[in-house]
Amino acid sequence: MASTGEAITAEATPTQARTRIEYRRFNVFHRWMHFLVFVSFTVLVFTGMPLKYKTTEWARWSMDLFGGVTAAGVYHRIAALITVFYWTLEFTFMVVMVLRSRGKLLKGPGTMMFGKKDLEDMIGMFAWFFGKGPKPQFDRYTYWEKFDYMSLMAGTVIIGMTGFIMWFPLWFTKVLPGVFLNIALVIHSNEALLAMGVIFIFVHFFSAHARPESFPLDKVIFTGSLPVEHYKAERPLEYARRVREGTLDEVLVEKRITWRTYAADVLWWTITAFAGFCAILMTAFIIWSVFD
Amino acid sequence: MAIALGVLGAALWLGIAGAAAASPSTAQSALNGRSNDDCFRCHGRQNMRSRTINVDGEQKSLFVDRTVYDASRHGKLDCTSCHIGFKPGLHGAGETQAWLVTAKLTACANCHADVFSMYQSSFHGNLVFAESSGQAPVCADCHVAHNITPPDSPAFRASIDSLCARCHADQLKTYLDSYHGKAFYLGDVKTAVCTDCHGGHKILAPSNTQSKVSKQNLVATCAQCHPGANENFAGFMVHVNPQSPRSSFVVWTFYALYIMLIAVVFTFGFVHTALYIYRGFKDGLYRRSHHG
Repeated sequence: MASTGEAITAEATPTQARTRIEYRRFNVFHRWMHFLVFVSFTVLVFTGMPLKYKTTEWARWSMDLFGGVTAAGVYHRIAALITVFYWTLEFTFMVVMVLRSRGKLLKGPGTMMFGKKDLEDMIGMFAWFFGKGPKPQFDRYTYWEKFDYMSLMAGTVIIGMTGFIMWFPLWFTKVLPGVFLNIALVIHSNEALLAMGVIFIFVHFFSAHARPESFPLDKVIFTGSLPVEHYKAERPLEYARRVREGTLDEVLVEKRITWRTYAADVLWWTITAFAGFCAILMTAFIIWSVFD
Repeated sequence: MAIALGVLGAALWLGIAGAAAASPSTAQSALNGRSNDDCFRCHGRQNMRSRTINVDGEQKSLFVDRTVYDASRHGKLDCTSCHIGFKPGLHGAGETQAWLVTAKLTACANCHADVFSMYQSSFHGNLVFAESSGQAPVCADCHVAHNITPPDSPAFRASIDSLCARCHADQLKTYLDSYHGKAFYLGDVKTAVCTDCHGGHKILAPSNTQSKVSKQNLVATCAQCHPGANENFAGFMVHVNPQSPRSSFVVWTFYALYIMLIAVVFTFGFVHTALYIYRGFKDGLYRRSHHG
């Protein structure tokens, strides 16, 4: 949240204008992409999951929230179109970035692609869990962050294809046999459960809220930057690499701490509370699925 | 003056027409100077609730809720319109059997000859009339004797699934797990219910070429709501249980693959998350202060 000209004027005679050097991890594009994923994914879950768990009290509550099952279907489709939009934009962005780097983005130490180091890191993490070694040092993206991103990008293709088959069954059955409509529902429904588990508990929310390093809240995807010391401890390899290459100043920003910073914190805490609610809901669904 | 006469004439005309329309067909009425009030004097009393009579092997309560009956579609009809053969005076179980069986089986045909003949030639009608089955449904089993509601009313449509499920519970379960069924369960009464595909009065086995769900007619049945439906579209299976390989092996295969994938991902995610939290507590990482 870089200071705007207005903000500086407004804080011209501050009693306690504080600034802090922060590390810019995400740019405006990343943050907007995440916002679109956040909004569309939430709407898709709350309008779609009631169909999978229709006999729960929660299903009726969530349907009522959207004005009934028919209206919820409309919101589900709008959110699906937002998903198509962000996926296409993100995919295009990635292809352009990879081409511009002449393929280096797929291989370098800061890559989002899986590599040998990720396997070593995972084995290292399990060793650390059991007290058999030091915690591995990470570069820009950890293996669980790569998994988070890749599973979202790949899962969106699967859930999107099956979703469109169900949205336009007449068009698809011009070619495909009717059993594809049955298969589409099975895939869509279970891929949704899988995606929800990954996002709401095991990878995404855990990583952002419940990991010791981020507890109780890692708000960097919303604010774009975080205190340098914190980032240095979290991703020492990327930090060291930038120091070595002399590119550290490219990502350092001077952040003004004003009342806006604290006002925004209220929003991030609301999101944390919502994430907690979603995680509890998800846990209930998994238990339901096992015993149903 | 001419206008006043005209208005008077029109009012008279409308009054007569209205009275003629409102009076039920008197041919079946045999109240002999008595009214429904006389019937309800006994049968509307609360203590009748516990008294029953055996009709065709089924125990029926002698109580009729007058407010429900009066509000029903038949609320203006005399009791004897259906209970044909009634003779005034005290009546015991022996002499009432005939009136009740008539009301249950054939009285409806006096006004609804068209749908009654369709019912008679249906799978259910055949069971009742040709095989004297006491279990197959008659008119009142679905339309509710003393609480007839218009069959296209939301309340009646919302009850159709449970009416059919009295005998076809397995089919209800697979229906409720299908596209239509999920929406129906959560309150969409405009979506297809049992009778929209199978027919209401002339329900026939799928092997019967006249059946709405026979191979010959299925495409046309789908096209009622999905204009342009073709053979492929109609190949969609409504009553399929993805959890059973015998129901549809192809659909089950996708279901089983997804369940395995979910089990693997969730188990790994749970172990990884739990160990991470364990290590976090063990090393006191959650107590360390963060800068945000």
